[in-house]
Amino acid sequence: MDSSLVMIGLTNVLSFNNIACILGGTLLGLFVGAMPGLSATMALALLLPLTFSFDPATGLSMLASLYVGASYGGSIAAILLRTPGTPSAAATVLDGFPLSQQGRAGEALGVSLFASFFGGLMSGIALLTAAPLLGTLVLEFGPVELFAIAVLGITIIGSLAQGSVISGLLSGGLGLLLSTVGMDLTTGTPRMTFDQINLFGGIDFTVALIGLFSVPQALTLIENSHQGGKVASRITDRLMPRWSTIKQLMPNILRSSGIGIVVGLIPGTGGDTASWFAYNEAKRFAKDKSRFGKGEVAGVAAPEAANNAVVGGALIPTIALGIPGSSSTAILLGALMVQGILPGPNLLTDYGDVTYTLIWAVILANIALLVVGLAFTKMSVSVTKIPDGFIACAILTLCIIGAFAINNSLFDVGLMLGFGLFGYWMSKAGVSPAPMVIGLILGPVMETSFQQSMLIGNDSFGVFLESPIATVLLILALLSILQATPFFRWLRVPFKRRLKPD
Amino acid sequence: MHAKALRHWLTITAMAISLSPLAQAADYVGGDEVTVLQGFKPGGGSDALAQLVQPRLSEILGVDFVNEYMPGATGAIAWTRLAKQSPKDGGTISITNTPMLMTNYIMNDAITYSTDELTPIANVVTDPGIVVVSPDSPYQTIEDLFEAAEQSPGTVTIGNSGVGGDDFFTTILLEQAKGLSFKKVPFQGDGPSATAAMGGKIDASFNNVGNVYGQVESGNLRALAVFAEKRLTSLPDVPTMKEKGVDIVAGSSRGYSAPAGIPDEARQQLIEAFQTLAKDPDFQAQAEKRAMNLDVVTGDDYRAMIEQMESDYRGIWESVKDEVGR
Repeated sequence: MDSSLVMIGLTNVLSFNNIACILGGTLLGLFVGAMPGLSATMALALLLPLTFSFDPATGLSMLASLYVGASYGGSIAAILLRTPGTPSAAATVLDGFPLSQQGRAGEALGVSLFASFFGGLMSGIALLTAAPLLGTLVLEFGPVELFAIAVLGITIIGSLAQGSVISGLLSGGLGLLLSTVGMDLTTGTPRMTFDQINLFGGIDFTVALIGLFSVPQALTLIENSHQGGKVASRITDRLMPRWSTIKQLMPNILRSSGIGIVVGLIPGTGGDTASWFAYNEAKRFAKDKSRFGKGEVAGVAAPEAANNAVVGGALIPTIALGIPGSSSTAILLGALMVQGILPGPNLLTDYGDVTYTLIWAVILANIALLVVGLAFTKMSVSVTKIPDGFIACAILTLCIIGAFAINNSLFDVGLMLGFGLFGYWMSKAGVSPAPMVIGLILGPVMETSFQQSMLIGNDSFGVFLESPIATVLLILALLSILQATPFFRWLRVPFKRRLKPD
Repeated sequence: MHAKALRHWLTITAMAISLSPLAQAADYVGGDEVTVLQGFKPGGGSDALAQLVQPRLSEILGVDFVNEYMPGATGAIAWTRLAKQSPKDGGTISITNTPMLMTNYIMNDAITYSTDELTPIANVVTDPGIVVVSPDSPYQTIEDLFEAAEQSPGTVTIGNSGVGGDDFFTTILLEQAKGLSFKKVPFQGDGPSATAAMGGKIDASFNNVGNVYGQVESGNLRALAVFAEKRLTSLPDVPTMKEKGVDIVAGSSRGYSAPAGIPDEARQQLIEAFQTLAKDPDFQAQAEKRAMNLDVVTGDDYRAMIEQMESDYRGIWESVKDEVGR
């Protein structure tokens, strides 16, 4: 049909200027992604005005490659420093940091880079081939279906609770509770804000994330710095993962990319959610679940493939329907509007030349990521040669800058430090912060979509059963909960007895 | 540290771009640099307005504009700062979104600023309200929607951009004018509300023209009526509510305000700058390209517009607040 437009897009991208911009954008994205608190969305918004003067192809290529670069960059700090550089790299910490403690940081970073590359490439191909087809799927997801997704996501808490289930539930419950702070969507009533205007918009989960992961890590580094033995990791192995490792991880990467594309498609969920879903599924499908959380490469590959696959996934509804799939793509949509292109389904037809340029830029940016990533990651590894005390101070400084940069608010810095101290107590008490982060991410989605569903369904719970998608997702959620309880074992008990001779 | 350097570099470059045609106009009494407090995140609608207006305003006034983003509490953090803690020398202004500017404190006692503490300078754009439904919707005309609401009150679901936003209040205005009752479903912004209508998850979405124009043009949404004085040139086939006998003109507007008590001369210079800007054909063309509906109202007229809205919306909220907080 419009294969000519596809080719026009490709030739648009393949100019010296644009390739330079893609490389530059990817590198910039890597830097931004590696800094805790600086997100892809923020960098896109800052870069946007600069691209006004570029021609559409160059501007969009640069923005798209920045988005791709930032999606990988977050994992570098997550693996080396136990500080997720972006919210979507939080799941990478769970296995990435233990790996680097074991001196396998190079392997972890290499796997993360390759998983990101494959995830990004797959979503780029999905974008190129199936955008119009998949785009219409988005309209099937209303509040009712979104609620079911959030419920399914929350059940992950059960399987993420390392060690004690009770402490995992405590952490998750606290996260959900904290997510209710702020203005109630349906009544406009401020809840648990204590008339503190800075809390009206709720607690920004990025602020909580920085505090919960990074501050305890910095404090632990300081604690151990006089003991001589170095906690922070060195790269003692090579960066390029072995072909056999990649082959072994391929099913995991493919599955995680699929998860990333679908989660990216749905407006209201993004890389932060997708990475947890992918991690959980990788664990569910693994033969030896006990190695997760102690340094399992599959636990790095899954979230990283997923969060890069979100890029293309989120662009699918943006391009097919003019509905942004994530906050980052909302800014990319803004970039299109500045070029005089109004959001709508005619992006692929009337403005096909510009849109296909964007799609090709995403695909090329993933190749650029592989090149730039290899060089940049080697450089970033020199971080591990710095003494722990200095690293701890640098982490704390970055935390403060990052927390401030989100809303230019000193209040958020205080909030981050508060979460930091609480996180430090949690790490001492052996409570994992991961469920709390999931609660904070999914709590608002769940609550808002529940209230909307109740309004739409005239206060009847039946509304959830009228939607086939929601019903299936809720059944999956129920099975996921039951799996974490002894229920299935009880079911099997009578059968086992029958087999026994007595 | 990279982060800091990056932001610094971006700021410098952004400033260099905005300054490139060196300004040489009359001296602005408010200083060489004007800080613009932005109540929303960079990249949103307010930022888009700033990118359009400020480079041109900077040429007219001969000053640099520096954006300071302080998002949160639907703009209330920035507006509280503007009203209570900003120097009253004309060196600090803010983008003011109406009716959000007023509904913020009308609905929440904890928000303490009021429009009395501001000097309205100029409204720049108004995005008229519009009623959209899914293309598969049984409602072909606005009368169909009215009839459905009449037959089964409180069941027709109407999406809006959030409690306190313009669409929420427009829905109430319509209910009161026609004696109808809708089921109001709030979303987090105009986009999700439009998407829900597109997928048929709600019966209709009360939205703004700028957000849904592309979707209406391409047939993903059907427009039933606009809340404008006259039919829009961009959507000539869509009737106004006035034509349908409902006297409601509503939308979401963005303009600029300074704190109360700035020097008269600074106020006058700012107002004149906006009046000059409004006549600039290049500005008008750029605004049209970005689907922004210019509605420049300056000085006392902008104050009157704000005061009128304030009393209207206060009245509406008084009459419905018990029902909303059910």
